Amino acid sequence: MTARAWIVASAIVSVLVTAAPAGAHHAFAAEFDANRPVLLRGKVTKVEWVNPHAWVHVEVVTADGKTETWMVEAGTPNTLLRRGITRQSLVPGMEITVDGYQSKDLSKRANGRDMTFPDGRKIFMGSSGTGAPRDGKDPTEPPVR
Amino acid sequence: MLVAALLLGVWTSAGAQTSTSSIPRTPDGKPDLQGFWDAATLTPLERPRQGQGKTLTPAEATAIERAAAERRDRGVRPSDPNRKAPPAGGVDSAGGVGGYNGFWVDRGSSVTSINGEARTSIVVDPPDGHVPPFTPEGRARARTRRELANTFDDVEARPLGERCLMSFGSSAGPPALPVMYNNIKQIVQTPDHVMILNEMVHDARIVRMHGPHLPGSIRKWLGDSIGRWEGDTLVVETTNFTNKTFFRGSSENLKVIERFTRLDAKTLLYQFTVEDSTTWTRPWSGEYVWAWSEQPLYEYACHEANYSLEGILKGARRQDADGSAGNVGRPR
Repeated sequence: MTARAWIVASAIVSVLVTAAPAGAHHAFAAEFDANRPVLLRGKVTKVEWVNPHAWVHVEVVTADGKTETWMVEAGTPNTLLRRGITRQSLVPGMEITVDGYQSKDLSKRANGRDMTFPDGRKIFMGSSGTGAPRDGKDPTEPPVR
Repeated sequence: MLVAALLLGVWTSAGAQTSTSSIPRTPDGKPDLQGFWDAATLTPLERPRQGQGKTLTPAEATAIERAAAERRDRGVRPSDPNRKAPPAGGVDSAGGVGGYNGFWVDRGSSVTSINGEARTSIVVDPPDGHVPPFTPEGRARARTRRELANTFDDVEARPLGERCLMSFGSSAGPPALPVMYNNIKQIVQTPDHVMILNEMVHDARIVRMHGPHLPGSIRKWLGDSIGRWEGDTLVVETTNFTNKTFFRGSSENLKVIERFTRLDAKTLLYQFTVEDSTTWTRPWSGEYVWAWSEQPLYEYACHEANYSLEGILKGARRQDADGSAGNVGRPR
């Protein structure tokens, strides 16, 4: 087994999805399903440094031993380029951990709420001028304007 | 008319305190606005608190900037390596599934400061720092557009930003507002034209100097912009909008006046007034500064890899098929 993986799909919980914040490129709530949280651990196979969102491809192994390739959505790469992050910062073969939510079309896609190395270090840390992560972990974060 | 006179008074006083003798100039003696500019600011469009004044004390400004820096620092701290998947049902206001991580976001690191005054809001008129109320017509139009934004049956019903046709959040404008990232702009200037190129979705605004507006029958997504110099300030008037684009609920009757004043080598003062009597109960104005950027503007190439739009449409199809369509997200 080249990589360990856990994929956690939730039970169905009916929720009223609240309005996505104005200002983002698109509605996360329309693309991803709040009822399908995932935790992905695996090796990067490809990184697409593209707009409007970068996509990180990760090969994970499920609990029953099956290999799956997931695509994880991230933000615009322009911001990272401006801070000196390059395509060498995240390359195929690196092991990463991602938590997020699966896409509503049930393809192997997810949003990357938190993308780290296996020891928890942020992959894109060390930048300047960034805002807070809008992942609900910081109760003091300001609303998106 | 009274409002216009008051606005003129505000701008005149702002300009009077500004020495522009040392700014770069083009060969014909006009202020040289060319270069890369960063419009990011921690100052919000509207004042966060009712009754708050126009300016921040130095201590208040420092506190806002320090809080932003601390949030940034918290954002890059390591996560729990043994964390589980996030909770079912979602975690926050971004539709429950989370938004961008902090490292993808760039709102700048300072509040906007004009003539030494740190500002509480971009809006300066009305004096309470808030966008004036909608007219009944404007309110009804906004409601219709919100309903349309929840339509997933037609790709052309999706917002222009989501379709990579234009930047979101009025990043390019007019008027141009700061958004959560990609706030870099490039100005290119000749005696006859000024171009304002916006990084996000490479929106390019072309301003014709001294020309009359196009006939009313010719409408443009970014409007028809004509420019003139008032002293050392570039004044741009934009009309002839379509009903496909809108600024905070505006109609095709929108008229935008922008004023660009290079205060010094590193600072461009950007001021705007919007008028649309079919949308707001009165005209309103804002101002903030753009900072000189040593970093260039990067290619955007948004459409080519816009998997998100495909995912949104496929997600709605899937929910239609399995009868869970009531759970589709609510975009902006």
